[in-house]
Amino acid sequence: MSKILRVNMTARTVAFEAVPEKYKEMGGRWITSNIVCDEVSPTCHPLGPGNKIVYAAGIVTGTAAPTSGRISIGGKSPLTGTIKETNSGGMAGQKLARLGIKAIVVEGQPAEKGDYWVLKVDKDGAELLPASNSWLGKGLYETYPLLFDEFGEKVAIIGIGIAGERLMANAGICVNDPENRPSRYAGRGGMGAVMGSKGLKAIIIDDAGDPPGVPIVNKELFDTGRKKLTEALLAHDITKPGGGLNTYGTAVLVNIINEAGGFPTFNFRDGRFTGAAKISGEMIHEICTKRGGVGTTGHGCSPGCVIRCSNVYPKPDGSELVSVQEYESVWSFGANCGIDDLDITGELIRLCNDYGLDTIEAGVTIAMAIEAGLAEFGDGAKAIALMHEIGNGTPLGHILGNGAAITTNVFGVVRCPTVKGQAIPAYDPRAIKGIGITYAISTMGADHTYGYTIAPEMLGVSGKVDQFDVDKVDMARNFQHATAFIDASGYCLFIAFAILDIPSGLAGMVETCSGVLGTDWTVDNIGIIGEEIIRKERAFNTAAGFTKAHDRLPEFMKHEELPPHNVVFDVPDETLDRVHSLQN
Amino acid sequence: MLEIHLYGKLRRFTDNEDPCRDSIISIPVEQGATIRKIVEQIGISHKELGSNIFLNGQYSTLTRKVKTGDRLGIFPDDMQLLYKWYFHKNGDDEHDDQG
Repeated sequence: MSKILRVNMTARTVAFEAVPEKYKEMGGRWITSNIVCDEVSPTCHPLGPGNKIVYAAGIVTGTAAPTSGRISIGGKSPLTGTIKETNSGGMAGQKLARLGIKAIVVEGQPAEKGDYWVLKVDKDGAELLPASNSWLGKGLYETYPLLFDEFGEKVAIIGIGIAGERLMANAGICVNDPENRPSRYAGRGGMGAVMGSKGLKAIIIDDAGDPPGVPIVNKELFDTGRKKLTEALLAHDITKPGGGLNTYGTAVLVNIINEAGGFPTFNFRDGRFTGAAKISGEMIHEICTKRGGVGTTGHGCSPGCVIRCSNVYPKPDGSELVSVQEYESVWSFGANCGIDDLDITGELIRLCNDYGLDTIEAGVTIAMAIEAGLAEFGDGAKAIALMHEIGNGTPLGHILGNGAAITTNVFGVVRCPTVKGQAIPAYDPRAIKGIGITYAISTMGADHTYGYTIAPEMLGVSGKVDQFDVDKVDMARNFQHATAFIDASGYCLFIAFAILDIPSGLAGMVETCSGVLGTDWTVDNIGIIGEEIIRKERAFNTAAGFTKAHDRLPEFMKHEELPPHNVVFDVPDETLDRVHSLQN
Repeated sequence: MLEIHLYGKLRRFTDNEDPCRDSIISIPVEQGATIRKIVEQIGISHKELGSNIFLNGQYSTLTRKVKTGDRLGIFPDDMQLLYKWYFHKNGDDEHDDQG
């Protein structure tokens, strides 16, 4: 039977509990947000003993469902002060699910700051072990191999780097990939600092032996759905083998969004970057092919993925520099800092993996340091030196490690591209207004994964609107609901491209969830469940002190025109407010 | 002249196939020429063409007319726009569902 593992870091106890009836159908973000709402005071200090951190695999994670290896991590964010769910691929989700653990809830705090523990979970139970000093205070490329030596090569590790140990608000949580690199991240919102504040260095998940696995109530329905979804993923131009994501990775978007004039450049001063081609997915593919060695595109971040959008990027001599050069990361350290060299962005991403930082927030923070006069746009060597400040824990490093908003406050920079304290990702909301609405009203701060603000125009649902139309409210709301459901399911959000275009794929996804749970959901349940998740998260934020005044984009985007379209963000505040007022 | 930026395997229609630089061709345009006509003129086959066509940065259908001074960006079928739903397709013929 599925259970909840409760870990108290004050008393240093572990206990398994039955899953309460109300959580029975939940997975992923659905259960992390519910437990946080039910157990965490919205006004607690994110790094204090009152906050909790919740880890949960999705509904179908651990089954044979394709591209479904996600793990969700929730709590109150030290970066935004809001509720947070951040999710990752890698090896942890499937192993946790197969152990029959629906969620791990970590609460309390050790009396002594700097006292670190490791939580070991396997088929026989769970225990807290003192963390060896040799695992602390160093980069994860050094620490992870030591942990695998200690616990075996086949475990999964959910861990924090020195940014998390130092309680920095841009600390992410790392999950190992199939080759045990410390390279997959539940990066956003500083949840690594929350884990650090609990004195938890890592969770070791060992599913060796004969773990219970994920029970499937209606195997026939599950198999039917799995087949339909797999067929959709294999057929769609974006998700199929040899398709856009598999061939070029997510950075296929560099040239596309640049051509569309929405690629934020020089800290959101331009929508096109003259060096875009040099940091594009095409260029990554070319370098992986030409340099040879370990260079790989079409790399999978977790077993059972049919999309496989990751890559392993080689140095000039063919040895490994980093996995993975993704769209958001090559943008944040690339165009946004005026850097047009993949070897530089690769090194900056490697440092994020090593120190345990979110790449989006880190890149935007470097741009803030540039605004503050600490470096010049395009100076890769200086950007690397600034990242080392974070690694070295200098006072400047502590400022930068706390993210873009803190850095601008310290240095008096006004052009700060954040919403609720979280850096805006790689789509300029002035050129792509739909995602501007998403950034503004997200319960998690600016987040491109919060709800692909998409489809209705193309599906003909909301009539005639165009790229610069301001009335995209219905679209934003519906897609946020769908996204919340996918985040609950354990599927990677990238299945959205296929299931929104191929109706049988969408039905198949719902059938796999129903098959596992024994429910009779239809596609209509997607909106119902998604809305329920968001309503809970909104209630938490309201109780934490957030109002509609926080659902706003940075002021400079309202009056500073973005070339080449020369547009501002002109969606009226009342329109933004309508998204949620329609929900209640 | 019309400035055309080609990507991916379509770069072969220009004199630069190196992805580290833009692959651009400039051609004169006749009055009233559509994107479809330009695509045919370049020699891009229907099979290789995706939905990702941008006229002056606007996601566009093949039926849109081009003029001197415009910038046209064309991506091949294996470089589909992941976020195509962000963009309304600008065109003169709503029923052109090319791609």
